[in-house]
Amino acid sequence: MPLKHNWRDFQLYVITAGGCHPGRELVHVMEETLKGGAGMLQLRNKTGSRQEVLREAKELRALTRAYDVPFIVNDYPDIALEVDADGVHLGQDDQAIEEARRLLGQDKIIGISTHSLEQGLAAERAGADYIGVGPVFPTNTKPGRAAVTTSYVSEAARHIRIPFVAIGGITLDNVGEVLAAGARKICAVSAIVGSEDPARVCRSFLEAIRSAEAGGHAIRIRLNGKETTTSAGNVAELVEQLGQGNKRLVAEVNGMMIQRSDWTSAALTPGARVELIQFVGGG
Amino acid sequence: MLVHDATAQTSDTLVIGGVPLNSRFLFGTGRFPSPAIFQQALEASKAEVITFAVRRVDLDHAEDDSILQHVQDRKLIYLPNTSGARTADEAVRIARLAKAAGLGNWVKIEISGSPVTLLPDPIETLKATEQLVKEGFTALPYTSDDPILCKRLEEAGAAAVMPGASPIGTGLGLLNPYNLSLIIESANVPVIVDAGIGSPKDAAEAMELGAAAILANTPVAKARNPVAMAKAFALAIEAGRLAHAAGRIPKKRYASASSDLAGSLFGEPQSDNGGGIG
Repeated sequence: MPLKHNWRDFQLYVITAGGCHPGRELVHVMEETLKGGAGMLQLRNKTGSRQEVLREAKELRALTRAYDVPFIVNDYPDIALEVDADGVHLGQDDQAIEEARRLLGQDKIIGISTHSLEQGLAAERAGADYIGVGPVFPTNTKPGRAAVTTSYVSEAARHIRIPFVAIGGITLDNVGEVLAAGARKICAVSAIVGSEDPARVCRSFLEAIRSAEAGGHAIRIRLNGKETTTSAGNVAELVEQLGQGNKRLVAEVNGMMIQRSDWTSAALTPGARVELIQFVGGG
Repeated sequence: MLVHDATAQTSDTLVIGGVPLNSRFLFGTGRFPSPAIFQQALEASKAEVITFAVRRVDLDHAEDDSILQHVQDRKLIYLPNTSGARTADEAVRIARLAKAAGLGNWVKIEISGSPVTLLPDPIETLKATEQLVKEGFTALPYTSDDPILCKRLEEAGAAAVMPGASPIGTGLGLLNPYNLSLIIESANVPVIVDAGIGSPKDAAEAMELGAAAILANTPVAKARNPVAMAKAFALAIEAGRLAHAAGRIPKKRYASASSDLAGSLFGEPQSDNGGGIG
């Protein structure tokens, strides 16, 4: 049964991590992510038996179909075929893209994790439908793998033509940096399925991605200790938007004081910690 | 007038961090009933140094007022305090922020060690003083009335030391005049009695002990008439200063008449017995 929409439109990709939500049913947690707007779902179970993976795959296939969201199986092309998943996701150590393609046919989605632009370009040439770009930040989901930082994200944004998904250690606190580096598709694992309210976290991720897409204007910053979304591009705009422009204020961005004359050139980046300080009566 | 001449003497000008001051009243700006009353009280106090606190802007209330808007036309020395700081690092950060705002390089180091008494944390206060002096600040630490600590602060480079008379806002006056006089006796920098002053009488008492200046806020701001009280403080501080310079009499256990008894209308004429009612 083909998807009713173009799977390439997805913005938020969620991967299972049963270990992140002990005591809560996998299907229940993943349904929360779909309610929150996840646009692609992957089953990744590196520790379970084939039987267990097959059972989970069947459940998630039924679930994702109900939400018309593409369903990807990690590592098991045979299970992907058996449950009629929309595709498979491969690692650099798994079987080659060409081999998976022979097995699955032209219509299935084949994605692969890449850790450098070289690997990304190679995957593109080999016929991958999308690539994962990461880990952007160090992550417990893939311990021991060096983070590729947002520099590979920027390279991918410039040079990769197929859809690419930034992945690895991405949270609501740092997603701004990833978006600023040019990513428009985000994959998060523990930040979503490990949270108390996966649907809410998904909505917040999507809000961040959409505002980045809307021109990179709305960003999340920490203003006087509170998480805030702002469309201000610099400190001067921020102060003006807050209706504080006529006051004698001190602005601090990421612990650095900004002289008033420099407010216009002090660009606000996602995740910036901004303190606006004034002088009040005291003895 | 004699009073005028006495205060005009340049030898009695208070100098803090190289800056000469004509007024020995450092004026706290908190808790006034209105900006207008604050301004009038400041005028009446003749103070040249004002203190204030550094706080995050209340973003939920855009109209929330900033004290400096009301004093922009005046020529004042700004003494931002570091209230709210619990450590030396926090105090240093606040001091740097105030300096960055172009408020000069004076700072009142105020590091509370207890939310109940608001008494200063001596260790952190000394650390912050050392650091801020190193960074070129004119550091005025608010400290407990410990003579040794005040000496250590002076050695660390404090431009003045500011022992409290009693805890902030209590109005209990000079709880330990003995310690204060020891501090004053041995200090080589101005001693400003800060905190706990309740009325002009306390201010005069501290000045008579030899304090160089008084920092007061609550007893003026919370008086029934803050403007009149500001003037009363200014007069008391001046009176206390003059009295200190004039030299008070030693205390005695028994009366001593202020007129010689010689020539008394009632006693036997004698050559060297004093008498007469004072």
